[in-house]
Amino acid sequence: MSIMEYNGGSVIAMVGKDCVAIASDLRLGNQALGVSSNFQKIFPVTDRIYLGLPGLATDVTTLRELFRYRVNMYTVKEERDIEPETFAHLVSSTLYERRFGPFFIEPVIAGMSKTPAGGLKPFIAATDLIGCLNFAKDFVVAGTASSKLFGVAEGLWEPDLEPEDLFETISQTMLNAVDRDAYSGWGVMVHVITKDKVISRTLKGRMD
Amino acid sequence: MPDMVSLSRAASGQPSQFKTPYSENGGTILAVAGSRFCVVAGDTRRTDGYSQTRYAPKVFRLTDKAVLAVNGFSADGNMFVNKVRQQLEWYRHGHARDMPLHEIARLMQTMLYARRFFPYYVSNILSGIEEDGSGAVYTFDSVGSYERDTCRVAGAAQSFMQPYLDNQDDWYTRPSVHYKNQRSTHSSSRPTQLPLSSVLSLVMDSFVNASERHVEVGDGLEIYVVLAKGSSLQGLEKLTGAQEVTATSDGERVFTVRRSLRRD
Amino acid sequence: METSFAITGKGYIIVAADTTAARSIVKMKTDEDKIKTLSPHLLMAYSGEPGDTIQFAEYIERNIRLYQIRNNYPLRPPAAASWIRRSLAESLRSRKPYAVNLLLGGYDTTTYTPHLYWVDYLGTMTEVPFGAHGYGSYFALSLLDRYHDPEASLEEGIVTLKRCIDEVAKRLVVTPGKYKVKVVDKDGIREIEL
Repeated sequence: MSIMEYNGGSVIAMVGKDCVAIASDLRLGNQALGVSSNFQKIFPVTDRIYLGLPGLATDVTTLRELFRYRVNMYTVKEERDIEPETFAHLVSSTLYERRFGPFFIEPVIAGMSKTPAGGLKPFIAATDLIGCLNFAKDFVVAGTASSKLFGVAEGLWEPDLEPEDLFETISQTMLNAVDRDAYSGWGVMVHVITKDKVISRTLKGRMD
Repeated sequence: MPDMVSLSRAASGQPSQFKTPYSENGGTILAVAGSRFCVVAGDTRRTDGYSQTRYAPKVFRLTDKAVLAVNGFSADGNMFVNKVRQQLEWYRHGHARDMPLHEIARLMQTMLYARRFFPYYVSNILSGIEEDGSGAVYTFDSVGSYERDTCRVAGAAQSFMQPYLDNQDDWYTRPSVHYKNQRSTHSSSRPTQLPLSSVLSLVMDSFVNASERHVEVGDGLEIYVVLAKGSSLQGLEKLTGAQEVTATSDGERVFTVRRSLRRD
Repeated sequence: METSFAITGKGYIIVAADTTAARSIVKMKTDEDKIKTLSPHLLMAYSGEPGDTIQFAEYIERNIRLYQIRNNYPLRPPAAASWIRRSLAESLRSRKPYAVNLLLGGYDTTTYTPHLYWVDYLGTMTEVPFGAHGYGSYFALSLLDRYHDPEASLEEGIVTLKRCIDEVAKRLVVTPGKYKVKVVDKDGIREIEL
């Protein structure tokens, strides 16, 4: 029994043209027994940063609360929103604090970051459970269906997708990957973050 | 009841004295059935830990209507192919014809289960043309459980490729198969028509994708195409490097196509 | 074997727990109340390691009460659930974690909505339309997938609960026997006889 597979669940994030997308499944299980079909694993951090937390469900809630606290403290002290890059390092150092007794979570970060010219550019990152950062240019995956997500995303993803095309790509990737994973599925949540808005949709999935 | 010998060894921190008679040689195989043809493919990399061989085939022509792909422990795989071929030759001598595909499948089950307690450490995919002319894929586990499929991946990159094919099988080759997650769940999901050209490009794409992300997949791709009796070449004649390897003139025809994959 | 269920309906939550206190193969007691009243509109069914359950439940009970005394109002169900979950999550990484599973059923008197939380000893928490713990969950959850109706009246809810209890009685090797059933709605908490 792997502790990373105790509750199940998967998250993926993808880069598009002036947008990013992040998606997760909605299952919470106790090994093979499904308990909930509405367990959110993606949380808004700021207006344009979303954080996905697949892994052990107790740590999903604990870390969500911990990051909410630390980001609030940052916002109060700095009198501005945290940038995705900064937040990624906050995630990394928070996890590394527990180097020898880790949280069993592999976070995925998706957001739009400010450029020096004043524009916004897509940003995604993921870390392992002790905070080793991976800044990818295309997509990042985590959770029990990660190898399946890698396979489908590698085939479907292409550069510079518009928001609606990126939504279709990430949705198809997620649905087809979780259909081959017993520990993930039971519905999917997708967020597409653009320059001026966030589009959030819940997808129905197979219930087996 | 815990094994006291291994417990005391674990407690003393000594490595186990027992050497496993198996290894895992990586690589991936894949087969897709069409209505009047089938495609079987495998990469040609064979790994042993971090070292590798670049050309070690794991897809074999058995007869003009049957191709067998073996993945897992390559020594077992090669031996198993030899044993199946020997049985098929005896059958030919006894019956003056090639064994039909579904009979080969049942034969393989018997042969695999005969070694239930010291199995061939191999995932088998048998594919070819049935007596009714339809393309078929039979997937086996290492002890002989099998089922007929339309599209199946086995081996190191199975988890990468199978969900991609679930999705693409259909999408690439419309009008066709299941359209996984692209249609209402109530629509018919019985596979119908897949053009050979689309299946071939799908197979090649899948292996390129897998070799991109998996260290045990790459070097070369070897594809076998089996065409049913009397069916046209369906564009195979235009495909660069397609080579006919048919042995008899009974009707079914077998072709091979080779492509290179990432070598890193 | 220890079993507890909870189901939501239109404006109420039913919480049921078996009443056996067992040690090894012996039933020590058959009228144990394993559902605590934490506040006027909050119920908690608890199960798990025998010593831990009572110690933890009483700790939660007294602290929820303390909050009410200090602030002159009780915690609402989501807030109470969050605090209880955190207590378990912090205990999990301590020297001796509590092995206690919970079902928290509450009626939020400010929004007039019932809430049900499924919580396990790891500190896993999720809001559910119905939940169960113990071996009974393997029978009850599939039954509730079929028969649960969030808009059901209390009478209909009780019928559904009875289905679960009967199924467990029929199929589980070691049947719990008696259950204590409590309801929480806008009028507060009351015990009902099946």
